[in-house]
Amino acid sequence: MQHAISISNLSKVYDSGFTALHGVDLDIRDGEILALLGPNGAGKTTLISLICGIINPSGGTVTVKGHDIIKDYRAARKLIGLVPQELHVETFETVWDTVNYSRGLFGKKPDRALCERILKELSLWEKKDNKILQLSGGMKRRVMIAKALAHEPNILFLDEPTAGVDVELRKDMWQLVRRLRASGVTIILTTHYIEEAEEIADRVAVINKGRLIVVDEKTELMRKLGKKQLTLELSNGIGPLPETLSGYDLEVEDDGRRLIYRYDTQAGRTGIGSLLADLNRAGISVKDLDTQQSSLEDIFVSLVEEAR
Amino acid sequence: MNFEAIKAIYLFEMARMRRTLLQSVVSPVLSTSLYFVVFGAAIGGRIEEVDGVQYGAFIVPGLMMLTLLQNSIANASFGIYFPKFVGTIYEVLSAPVSFVEIVIGYVGAAASKSLILGIIILATAHIFVPLEIQHPFWMALFLVLTAVTFSLFGFIIGIWADNFEKLQLIPLLIVTPLVFLGGSFYSIDMLPPFWRDVTLFNPVLYLISGFRWSFFETADVSVGVSIAMICVFLTICIALVWWIFRTGYRLKA
Repeated sequence: MQHAISISNLSKVYDSGFTALHGVDLDIRDGEILALLGPNGAGKTTLISLICGIINPSGGTVTVKGHDIIKDYRAARKLIGLVPQELHVETFETVWDTVNYSRGLFGKKPDRALCERILKELSLWEKKDNKILQLSGGMKRRVMIAKALAHEPNILFLDEPTAGVDVELRKDMWQLVRRLRASGVTIILTTHYIEEAEEIADRVAVINKGRLIVVDEKTELMRKLGKKQLTLELSNGIGPLPETLSGYDLEVEDDGRRLIYRYDTQAGRTGIGSLLADLNRAGISVKDLDTQQSSLEDIFVSLVEEAR
Repeated sequence: MNFEAIKAIYLFEMARMRRTLLQSVVSPVLSTSLYFVVFGAAIGGRIEEVDGVQYGAFIVPGLMMLTLLQNSIANASFGIYFPKFVGTIYEVLSAPVSFVEIVIGYVGAAASKSLILGIIILATAHIFVPLEIQHPFWMALFLVLTAVTFSLFGFIIGIWADNFEKLQLIPLLIVTPLVFLGGSFYSIDMLPPFWRDVTLFNPVLYLISGFRWSFFETADVSVGVSIAMICVFLTICIALVWWIFRTGYRLKA
């Protein structure tokens, strides 16, 4: 199967000597939503900038639907739309002109109907004759998305699209992302709101210090790396833990009224049965219990910490 | 060739001229009129003729060149510096455009603006002095070559500059003095022999001299040398721009 983007041994060393990417290999599947997660300075934006041609790679190759980004840059770039993290806009232009400019820049003939549809979809139609200067931050973000969509890209990069935008725009944005994906657009997004990635992404790639730590299906990642925790509400508070329970990974909370037990869902035995039996033997009665799956955020934090 | 992209960049840049009409057109016309008042009327009253040409008319080619050079550099340098400054350059860099197309778009727009200005100044000059152009074809060629060459030069400055001060540095400290000392307002034959020889090292002299020849058939240096000098400068600018895009100098990390 041809990938939307194939990255092989891609590296970037800046003139200052700083290595932003260490030989990254990554295949992005056609039509998927890939969330690229990583702490600040991990290399997410560098990776995106390399693929889009904004900076030059130091080594390695990238192909976009089989087109090399350097040898065959025209064909490669035509397929890509980019919404960068920073609000880079032509302040003194009108919304309409700037969106049409973007379309022309990518070699497409003017298409009023399409630009109108994009602006309407992003609730920008009313503002089409306004100068960008007069728009709010959230509106400027919408303009940047409109610019990226103006040439009908097959692949869309959204670098921190929801940073500093209000709830309504975030909701609109994710709706748009879903619609685009339904129409066959491959979407690569970076976000700090991991719950968003958890909600929308098909696969997750975690990058830290210029290295790709993990790439996997979101559900698979959560199953493999996710831990569960069992919370036991006790009928009566207990003092120190009895000797018989010392073998369990237990935490005592709420003045001895609550026990937290963490277990690995992948382990052959979770130990829940024996824990409950041992509690019973120690004369500790359980009033209520609850289990929780760790979130993508917990997984992300533990992965990044492990890599330190 | 991505013609749509060239058109997009060109029209986008030209729109900036329309938006800043006062600054783009009115101010050069005003300053040219002031030069006419000062040099043409006040001083020209005391200088009858230079090389058989009435002084007021004699300075027209120099004034046009002054405006053309200053505006070509200012338009082109600002045109590419501003997207770098506000960050919108990302879009041009990530678009399917070659460097030749980028240069045609930006430099073409800057040169067009200067040409329009040159023609407006010529029309303004007509109000003050009677003018007859002896070689209209050569005049147009000089005008176009100079506008393109100095727009390329401005483009290079715009890429090199990493702050607004640097953007002004070369036009103010080098180009303006060279134009003033390159025989815009006088014939170098009016200078003492030593300074006359020094002036021959000023590249702008060749532009003004050739341009003036196309108007009045009088020149400080031969017209062939003038054309050759512009072509040399044009070649240097093209080579520099080519090198900038090949290495990504100040454009791509």
